[in-house]
Parts: sequence; C-alpha cells; structure tokens
Amino acid sequence: MLVGCGPKVPLPPSGDHIKVPFVAPRSDLCAATSIEMLSSYWRLTTPYTPRLSREELDARTLIPVKGGTLQIELMATARANGLLAYTLTPTFDALLRELEKQHPVIVLLNRGYAWYPLWHYAPVTGYNKKDQTILMHFSDRPHEAMRIATFKRLWERSSNWGVVLLPPEHLPATATSKAFLRSAYDLERTGLRDEAIIAYRSALKRWPREIDILFALANSYYHANKFTLAEKYYRELLSIEPKHPLALNNLADLLCHRGRQNEAMATIRKAVSDNSKIQSIINATGKEIRKGCTPQGKK
Amino acid sequence: MHFSKLLLSLILSIALFTQTSWAQIASTEALFNQQTDILSSKEKIIQFTARKDVAKILEQMDVDPQTIEERVAAMTDEEASKFAHEIDTLPAGSDALGSLVGAAVFIFVLLLITDILGLTKVFNFTRSVR
Repeated sequence: MLVGCGPKVPLPPSGDHIKVPFVAPRSDLCAATSIEMLSSYWRLTTPYTPRLSREELDARTLIPVKGGTLQIELMATARANGLLAYTLTPTFDALLRELEKQHPVIVLLNRGYAWYPLWHYAPVTGYNKKDQTILMHFSDRPHEAMRIATFKRLWERSSNWGVVLLPPEHLPATATSKAFLRSAYDLERTGLRDEAIIAYRSALKRWPREIDILFALANSYYHANKFTLAEKYYRELLSIEPKHPLALNNLADLLCHRGRQNEAMATIRKAVSDNSKIQSIINATGKEIRKGCTPQGKK
Repeated sequence: MHFSKLLLSLILSIALFTQTSWAQIASTEALFNQQTDILSSKEKIIQFTARKDVAKILEQMDVDPQTIEERVAAMTDEEASKFAHEIDTLPAGSDALGSLVGAAVFIFVLLLITDILGLTKVFNFTRSVR
C-alpha cells in the first residue's frame, strides 16, 4: 500500500479498507455475523462494549422457516446490542460518505433476481476509486472486491437498503437531525434509555438549538428521575421557544412533582395549544397542580 | 398458551404502570406524529394486537419460544406492526448456497452465466468479466 490513511484523505485511498474484523459465515446467519463484525470493529476502536453474546445474536435474528433474518430484526438486535441503528438515505453517495468517515455499512443485496431472490447482508468495508470496486466481507471472503456496476445492480434490488450501526456517542456522517432523533428514540423505547440519552447529547453537539432533541433529552431525564437535568433542558428549550406547549406542560408537571406549586402554576398558565389532544393534557396538568403539589423523591 | 399469557400480562402491566405514573407528561412520541401524540385506547389496542401477532408468527416459524418475548420487546411499535402485516413479503437476508440446493440445473447454469456477466453474484467463486 502506497498511501497511509491520513485524516484529511477524502476517501479511503486505493485498495484501503476500514479495519473491520472478519467473522466466518454461519449457516443462514449473515445478519448475526454482520452485527458481530461491526460490534467488534467498534469495540476495537471505541470504548463500546457489546451487550449480547454471539449465541444471543444468533438466537435473536434467525427465523428458521424463512431461513434468514428480516431487516426489522437486524435493526432491533443491533439496538439490543447497544448500538444505534441508522438507516441510510438510499443512495450510493450516502454509502460513500459513511465509508469516508470510517463507518462500515451493512447493506442488503439480492444476489439473484426478483423472481429468484437470494437475499444477503454484507458489511461494506471500503471503496476503491481507481479499480471502481466496492469492498465487502462477502460470505466467506474478507474484503471481497466487487465491480461497482455489479454492486449497484444487486443493491438496487433491495431499494438500496443500508444501515450504519454506531455507538451512541457517534453520529452518522449523513445524519439529519430528525432521522437521527428517531433512531435515538427507538433506543429509548426499546429499553435502552442510557444509550438514548448519550445519543441525544451527542446530537446536541451537532445541532445545539434543535428543539425536538432538547425535548426528547429532557423527557428522558425526567423518566430516569434525573429531575435537575430534566429541568435544565426544558428551560434551555424554552429559552429558544418560550411558548412550546409540550415543554411548558412537562416542566410544570415536573415542578409540581418537586413540590414547587407556585412555579408550576405560573408555568402551566403560559401553556396553550390549538391541538385539542395537547390542550386536554395541559388542562389535566393544571387541574393536578391546583389539587396541590407534594414533593416526590422517586415516582 | 402459557407464553402468550405471560407476554400479555407483561405488556399490560407495563402499559398500566406507565400510564398511571406519567398521566400528565407529553411523550417524545408527539414529535413524530401529531395524530398519535397521545394514543387513544383504540390505537393502543391495535399496537398491542400487532405485538401478539408477531409473537404468534415467530412461534409458527419455528423460532425458539424462549427468545420470542425478548425479540418482540426489542421492536418498536412501527416495526412490530410492519412485521405483523408484511411478513409474507419482507426479504430475509441469508446465505445463498443453502437456498440453491433445490434449484434446477438450468437455473444453476443461468445464474452462473449471469454472475459472470456481472448481473448477479450468487456464487462466491465467480468473477465478473465486466
């Protein structure tokens, strides 16, 4: 190899690839091995520790009658393993941009035809501009080079489905704030609140004034009984958008649960919404506060 | 069936628990869909049914019953609902060679040729000429 992998090189140089450890295929388990390969890559390059064993990855992904794994369960299992799963915009350009950032991408390919589908997951590990090839851990071949024209044909049969799996401190190169928030929230509602909080916080580093992220983070802290932090982020949100009805409502509720009735009352009075469902929540909170606020340590 | 009952009571208890504890909190869910921000009980029941259907489908598809509960729990509501409704058409990524065992010889030869033309990549050993 002539060129090293300096940080300023825009694309992995010719013949170079992301150092994703290769895992030999196990029958019908290419989703599990793909997750395993990416998990070991992140374990080697970041403080990330996988939550699931190889056996658990296998047991959670295989559907014996289908002889394979659905995209849904690949995503769900990656999350259960402590990784944020972000589905890419279905373009070749998005794939290259993630590779540039040293983010391996799991793609779904159809190795056959629509009338004779042979679906296969493979982690993409590099791109060779000179040879016009894509490098993948393809079945039993590490860093197999495939002509880009062929790759594109196989990939478009899955409508260019690809996903990056990242430790929650890391953001996809191609992330939009809305779609990233969704992926982070998917962690939270499938039981990985700590990981979700880390993800919201890293999102705020890129989008510090994004209202929705502040709201999600504050809610998360509230549900985790971290009241001081929750209050801090509701207030930060309200400093940007003072009339945000949902944030006012939740902050008022929090203040009431902390026994600060006057502040709670003053806050809920500012909340008003055109949406009847939201307004009915606001009304219920107001009623609750008027009944009296007693401090609660734990919910 | 024992498992379904267990799952049912688990989900119900979670639903009830969250509802009573956080009656006044507007959920983060509200950010994604203004219509379902605060789910009506009817919508909740539909999602609950989807999860029950997923558990049943996994069971019918020979998935180890001990893993079904955690597999269903790991899905979001949208994923569970998509799973329940589209299971017959969703692709299942796998290793190609197992599925080829039953293929007729002519398909084998055809796919070998299309592999060489770079139109498919069924076999690990083929190299496209283009």
